[in-house]
Amino acid sequence: MSILGKIFTWWNGATIGTSLFTSRRGEKVGTDAQGNTYYRSKNKRDLNTAGSYSGGERRWVIYEGANDASRVPPEWHGWLHGAFDDVPESNLPPARIWEADYTPNATGTPNAYRPQGALEMGGKRARTTGDYEAWTPE
Amino acid sequence: MPKVTVDGLEIEVPDGATVLQACELAGKEIPRFCYHERLSIAGNCRMCLVEVKPGPPKPQASCALPATDGQEIRTDTEMVKTAREGVMEFLLINHPLDCPICDQGGECDLQDQSMYYGRGATRYRMNKRAVTEKYMGPLIKTIMTRCIHCTRCVRFSEEIAGVDEIGAVGRGEDMQITTYLEQAAEHELSANVIDLCPVGALTSRPYAFEARPWELKKTLSIDVSDAVGANITLYSKGREVMRALPRINDAVNEEWLSDKGRYQVDGLMRRRLDKVYMRRDGKLQAAGWDEAFTAIAEAVAGDKGSIAAIAGDLVDCETMFAAKALLRACGSNLLEGRQTGMAYDVSNLAAVNFNSSFAGIEEADAILIVGSHVRWEAPLVNVRLRKAAKRGAKIFIVGPAWDTTYPAEFIGTDLAILNELPSHIAETFEKAERPAVIVGGAGLKNAHGKALALAAGWGAAFNVLHMSASRMGGLMLGYAQKGGIADIAEAKPKVLLSLGADETDYASFADSLKVYVGHHGDAGAHAADIILPAASYAEKDGTYVNTEGRVQFAEKAVFAPGDAREDWTILRALADALGVEVGFDSFGELQSAMIAEVPALGEEGLADYGALPEADKNTRAEGEISAYPVRDFYLTNPIARASEVMQRCSSELLHAGELQEAAE
Ligand code: SF4
Ligand code: FES
Repeated sequence: MSILGKIFTWWNGATIGTSLFTSRRGEKVGTDAQGNTYYRSKNKRDLNTAGSYSGGERRWVIYEGANDASRVPPEWHGWLHGAFDDVPESNLPPARIWEADYTPNATGTPNAYRPQGALEMGGKRARTTGDYEAWTPE
Repeated sequence: MPKVTVDGLEIEVPDGATVLQACELAGKEIPRFCYHERLSIAGNCRMCLVEVKPGPPKPQASCALPATDGQEIRTDTEMVKTAREGVMEFLLINHPLDCPICDQGGECDLQDQSMYYGRGATRYRMNKRAVTEKYMGPLIKTIMTRCIHCTRCVRFSEEIAGVDEIGAVGRGEDMQITTYLEQAAEHELSANVIDLCPVGALTSRPYAFEARPWELKKTLSIDVSDAVGANITLYSKGREVMRALPRINDAVNEEWLSDKGRYQVDGLMRRRLDKVYMRRDGKLQAAGWDEAFTAIAEAVAGDKGSIAAIAGDLVDCETMFAAKALLRACGSNLLEGRQTGMAYDVSNLAAVNFNSSFAGIEEADAILIVGSHVRWEAPLVNVRLRKAAKRGAKIFIVGPAWDTTYPAEFIGTDLAILNELPSHIAETFEKAERPAVIVGGAGLKNAHGKALALAAGWGAAFNVLHMSASRMGGLMLGYAQKGGIADIAEAKPKVLLSLGADETDYASFADSLKVYVGHHGDAGAHAADIILPAASYAEKDGTYVNTEGRVQFAEKAVFAPGDAREDWTILRALADALGVEVGFDSFGELQSAMIAEVPALGEEGLADYGALPEADKNTRAEGEISAYPVRDFYLTNPIARASEVMQRCSSELLHAGELQEAAE
């Protein structure tokens, strides 16, 4: 990504400051199916002091594309929040065949769920109190 | 007058009062299920137990016990309390605990009284009784397991409605309430048993699971389905009227309401006019208010006086007055309300009024009905006639036979019989102390004068039974031409304002610009050149005058749909478009202008029309009554015709036989 792109499309991926910090202090741990990359601090002295009660290691994600926290799948969400120490691949049981692929929250996007009565879906809803049937000349 | 003591308070009660009434007079509430003021006393629920001395040392059913001098009644003792708890416990043994799914919830006598007089918890461990479902027609939904056998519904059908439709089979625990062979209850007042049923055994089928009573807004209104003007409450949720229930008014509807008045309200949600339409190239197309007003103004340009108005059956006095003011400002007086072309003489309004008053007709001892199917034209008046008949009144009817609910003699369909009444009838009326004559829609045309003469001869009360809610109001406001609607057609108005008139024959107005100001797409809208959407009776404040000349005021319950406006605002805006001044800018101003012109419309209650005109002894009645104007009780007005419930009633209750024949 060009430097200009980085400056002006701040909503995609990490900002310059975060990228710099990541390259100096971060250690790459893995990527998920969507290409989001997960990091943890290289040095013990970078213990997470900001907002952590446990003083555990600092973990973060750099998104591939839009910075939408709901794009983190549950297994990596667990890792990010310190629910377990190891990366998900080695820590969690393998996915079952009946498990559906993870999809981010679609609210606010064109893929969002719209009930039958929504205008985008044709606006045909069940009858409710106050609905009336208008007369037409035919 | 016996003197009794109720809980230590000595009071005097009227002769013939019961102990329950005595307690009420003393301000004590007595729980009850089977007792009802307007029905006979059954005394079978035992909820009204009190302690009475002298008498056996056990609690007594107060509703069936006459109050006698020196009685000492106690309603607050331990014995009474346990007796009530006991009765309640027995009732609940066989009553399902399904209040959460019961439509009566919130207005259930059993629910309320078990809160006040019941025990806190149940001791019953066995199986409950269950009763098979019964079918009672398209209006009444039954859940017979809930029935507590108060027999109010049975007594109502027998005593008030006068048809043996609902009855009980079996005894004791096995007693079941049912209609004969599970046919639909089909008289015009059938739905009143829903109000009477103290539990949820009989509930309203069209209203099933629609709403809870406490979420509804209650608006006092007047029923417009016939000319009785029954007092109703409209229950609305949001902008929909969910149901109509009768209000108590002893002078008008007592406590009842006809099925049409009660169930036509779903028609308010169908076939509504909600935008302006104009006829272009022979087709009605949506248009704007301005376009429509301009078109009307152009039609009368240069000759403003060439405008006429016909009032429909459901309009209120304010609408009619607004139209009258508009026409007057234009210089026209072409007003007519009798849509079907009647042209009876209205120079004296007493001669077209129900002068006995509804309560008064009960007292009559001989009644002559000329051309009225009372049961369909005014079911609530039929209830009064039945009461009169029960008190011994002799009733004679001229016209095709219909199913009366009391003994009555049909004396042919030829009106000429009035000129030469058979001797036994003439004698009855001459001897009668309080005779009455009722002229209905079918008799007004040919027998009005003769009936007046007969009434004058006998000293009888003279009554005209109208069928439309706007009739008397319209006549008071001068919506009558000498020759009826034919006069209007003759005047060839350039613009014809139709205020919701759907029964008019528009063919005779082929050259006029027909402007329909109304709320339902019915005959009038189909014939119109311009449609201006207006409000129905539930959507505007208004004054109505019923057939006995009673001025009553109805309030607005909900808003009119879409672009529809209250009628008077449309007429006021039209005045601006025509460039005339009508003299009011608000509903209040309109009303005061109306009251200034016709003071009687400003006072709720019976209007005074003065004395009856001098009757012409030599008039003769002639002609044959081949049919009554009401062909189908359930479909008499545009709201009812739009109502699904009314359509179902009509096809199931009135035309069921035809359907079967067609199927065979
Ligand atoms: S159905 Fe209702 S009104 Fe009729 S007997 Fe049963 S509880 Fe009483
Ligand atoms: S009210 Fe008296 S027995 Fe029912």
